[in-house]
Amino acid sequence: MDLFVNPSGELSLYRQIMRQITDAIAGGRLKPGEKLASHRELSEQLVIAPLTVKKAYDELEALGYIETQRGRGTFVCAHLPRTDAADQADQIRETARKLLSQAYLAGLRFSAVEKILKDADRELTGGSAKNTPGEKVKS
Amino acid sequence: MTPILKFTNISRSYKKGVPVLESVDFSIAPGEVVGLLGRNGAGKTTLIRIAMGMLYSHSGSVRVFGLSPTEEPVAVKKRVGYVAEDQVLPARLKISELIDFHRYLFPQWNEALERQLLDRFGLNTGSKIKQLSKGEARQVALLCAVCHRPELLILDEPAGGLDPAARREFLETSIQLLNREGTTILFSSHHMTDVERIGGRVVLLDKGKVRLDRQLDELRDEVCMAMAPRASAGSAAVFEQMRGCLSVRLVLDEWHAVFNGSPEAVRQELRETLGIDGIRCVSLPLEELFIELVGGDRKEVVAA
Repeated sequence: MDLFVNPSGELSLYRQIMRQITDAIAGGRLKPGEKLASHRELSEQLVIAPLTVKKAYDELEALGYIETQRGRGTFVCAHLPRTDAADQADQIRETARKLLSQAYLAGLRFSAVEKILKDADRELTGGSAKNTPGEKVKS
Repeated sequence: MTPILKFTNISRSYKKGVPVLESVDFSIAPGEVVGLLGRNGAGKTTLIRIAMGMLYSHSGSVRVFGLSPTEEPVAVKKRVGYVAEDQVLPARLKISELIDFHRYLFPQWNEALERQLLDRFGLNTGSKIKQLSKGEARQVALLCAVCHRPELLILDEPAGGLDPAARREFLETSIQLLNREGTTILFSSHHMTDVERIGGRVVLLDKGKVRLDRQLDELRDEVCMAMAPRASAGSAAVFEQMRGCLSVRLVLDEWHAVFNGSPEAVRQELRETLGIDGIRCVSLPLEELFIELVGGDRKEVVAA
């Protein structure tokens, strides 16, 4: 998986790494059980301090997305923490309403928003929607 | 745990009554990487030279591994690697001769690391120092500073005058050293993106005083800048009297005020203080924060 950090970005570097890894897990580009680069390897690859990568890994581990097995390395958790889709549905619906309201105020049509969503999906999943591990949101 | 480096209340002036450093007080724990920032003349090099025992402080004390660098210079220097801002290497020596000299000085010299760095930098040890480019000379200076595997590495503007590619290579090497040796590092730099890449913590000097001492990660989450229209506040004092205010300045028709606190919390507090809604609060990259905190002449603003 290719990660990229931008020191002048809006988020701190460890948050940039966290977001990219959770995005990759959400989009199915990182599969449960898949091995991640060690924090040292990643620090040399991204040319950032090892402690920064370690902090990102520690936080992801605390959130239950990845786990470190001593002597073997760091892996995407086989069982990802998944809050009940039904519980989240209201929140997601609210976010959708906000998104559409913002889009319509900006003069975009529904079809334009649809295209934006599809592009975002392609970015998350790396082009194949069937990668997506998510369940259907029950309406 | 004994700090690796500890400055206690350091003051120093070159001319009577013109302090270069004033009550500088901070310490560095084992394994920390600290970026020392500040404008030209803020006192960075003076502080570093005091840590190296090359200058006395006029008051306060400095301890390296718990030792005084002026009283026990050998014991300290054995365990420290140092690259000065204007490191002058003996021009007529060959690289190999310079390395031989360092190997002779340091019994714990690590030849494997030496070979690895020579390979990495692609340096020809037969070249004379005076024939090297600025970047190559920096690489030789770094090599000489790290092959005795120091516990503390002090780099004064290690990347000063290097092109972006050479700087990146320098960073890559430093990060590999961090990974492999776990060295504690204090480095000064004007390249804020480099500091964000390698640093864990930043200490910002402003006119000889520590103006900010924070973990880099916290800066984005816990420090932010509010932008308010000029008409919303009669003077800078309105902001300065608020809790957590770090700096205020007037930029064209807007107040720029930097606060300790998350954007949400600061926005809320400004709404209560100024009585207006929708003030923009943003977290800042290090470069912008640097400019807000120590850039421009803020005296005028205070008087306005």
